[in-house]
Amino acid sequence: MDILNTAIYGDITVWDVLIVTATFALAFVIAKVVTINLKKILSDKVKKDVLEIILKIVNWGIVIIAIIAVLPQLNIDLSGLLVAGGFAGLIIGFATQSVVANLVSGLFLMIERPIKIGDQVSIEGVSGFVEDIHIFSTIIRTYDGIYIRIPNEKVFTSNITNYVANVARRFEYTIGIRYADDADRAIEIIKKVIDTHPFALKNPSPTVFVDSLGESSVDISVKIWAPSAVWYDVKMDLLWKIKVELEKNGIEIPFPQRVIWFGDKGGVKVESGKDIPT
Amino acid sequence: MYGAYEYGFQLENDELFVSVEKKGGFLKYSRYLKQKEESVEKILASDTGRIIVNPIEPINLPKEVTKYLEIEFEPVVVEPDSHRKIYIKFPIEIGVFATTKKSINILDIFSLNNPKYSLYGPPYSGVICRWYKSEVFPDIPKTDMLKEGVIELHLHNLTGEWVEIKRVVFESYGMKIYYGDFVSMVANMRILSKVVAETSFVNRPIKKGMKKSLELHTARRIPVVERMGFLMEWGLK
Repeated sequence: MDILNTAIYGDITVWDVLIVTATFALAFVIAKVVTINLKKILSDKVKKDVLEIILKIVNWGIVIIAIIAVLPQLNIDLSGLLVAGGFAGLIIGFATQSVVANLVSGLFLMIERPIKIGDQVSIEGVSGFVEDIHIFSTIIRTYDGIYIRIPNEKVFTSNITNYVANVARRFEYTIGIRYADDADRAIEIIKKVIDTHPFALKNPSPTVFVDSLGESSVDISVKIWAPSAVWYDVKMDLLWKIKVELEKNGIEIPFPQRVIWFGDKGGVKVESGKDIPT
Repeated sequence: MYGAYEYGFQLENDELFVSVEKKGGFLKYSRYLKQKEESVEKILASDTGRIIVNPIEPINLPKEVTKYLEIEFEPVVVEPDSHRKIYIKFPIEIGVFATTKKSINILDIFSLNNPKYSLYGPPYSGVICRWYKSEVFPDIPKTDMLKEGVIELHLHNLTGEWVEIKRVVFESYGMKIYYGDFVSMVANMRILSKVVAETSFVNRPIKKGMKKSLELHTARRIPVVERMGFLMEWGLK
C-alpha cells in the first residue's frame, strides 16, 4: 500500500497515476463499445457519411470528458491552464502549424461538406471514391483500388470536382454514319434506343442531332441525362445498344476514307470501295 | 394473384409464373416473366413461413435510385378555390415477401412494366423520379392490376387563380397501397400557387373492403420521418 502512496511528481502519487490510467482505459473501452453499438443500431437508418461524423463526435466526446474528469486527479487546475493556454497555444501553434491547418480544414470540410463519403470526386488530379474524411486527412480510393491520403488543408484549398453532387448529369457520344445513310432515320433509331433505357432520363430530354459533316462520316451528337448514381452504367450500356440497332437497320459506322487522284491529265481517281479503272 | 400463400404454391398466367415448391430436397422460390424472359430462383431455408405477394411502391426497378414517383398527364386546368377529384393510373411493381410471425423479408421484386426515370426540378436541387404517363379519368378506370393501379387524386386549388397542372410528384415512402378488384391509392394535391403544390397520401382505399399492401419500406424498417408530404416547388406543368 505504501507503494501506491509514493509520490512520483509533487503531490501526484502512484495511486493517482493508476486512477488516471484506469479512467483513460475505461473511457476508451466505453467509447469503443458505444460507437460499435451505435454503428449497429444506426447503420441502416442513417447515411454512412453522417453516421461516420456522429461516431467520431461520440468517440472524441467520451475521450474529452474523461480527460476533463481526470485532470483534478493530477492537480491540474484548468483556470491556470487557461492563463497559460495563450502562451502555450502560440508556441504549439507555430510548432504544429500544418497539423492545426489540417485539423481546421477538416472541421470546415465537415461543415461545408463539398464532398461526402462514397462520392466520386477529383481532387488535385486524384480521381476516385471518397472512402473517409478524417479530422486531418481525406482518404480516396482511386478507380484502380489504390489508397490515397490527401491532407485536409490541400483538399480544402484545391478545386474539388464532385461528379455526383448534383442528382443528374449529362454525358455525350458522337456517332458517325456514312454519307449514304439517312441521318433522319438514324436519329429516330437512336432516340428509340435511348427511350427504352430506364435511366436515360425523360426530362431533361435527350438531344440527338447532326453535329458536323466530318471527313469520313456524318457526325451525330447524342446528349443524354442520367441519374448521377448510375450515369456511367448508362453510358457503357447505351453506346453498344445504339451501334447494334443502327447496324440492324442497315446504317453503318464508316471507316476513315480518303479519295486519291493520280496524274494531272485524264487522271485516275481511286475511291474507297470502288474498282480502280484501268 | 395478390395475397398470402403457404409454401407449396404455384401462380401462373400468360405473363408470369411464380412458385414456392420442394425441388431437389430444397424449398425453392422460382419466378419467370415470360415476355421479358427474366427468371429468378432462390433456395428458402425455412419451414414455417408464408409468402405474401402484393403491389409495392414502384421505385425499385431496375435499381433503387430514388424515392419519388412522377405522373405526367394531359393538362388539367383547375378552377380557383375549388376541390376536384380525378383518377390517374400508376405503374405497379410486385413484391414477394417471406414472412414468419416475427419478421418479414423481401424475397423478390418484379414488374411487367418497363420503368422510366426523369428529373423533376434542376440538376442541383431537383429530384430523380420514377416517371409514368397516364390519362386522366373522371371515374375509376379499368386496369390490368398486375401492371397498373389507380390513384384517386383530390385537387385542392387553394389559390384565387386558375391553375394548370400536368404532373404530380409523390414521395413514395408514404404510399398507402390497397388491393382488391384493382390496386388503389388515394392522394391529395394542395395547390398553393401557380407553380407550387403539396402532395400527400391518404391511408384509405378507393373502395371499401380492399386489403392493405405490405409496404416495402416499412418491411425494410427504414424509419419514415412523419412528413406532411412532398412539396412540388419546381412547377406543376
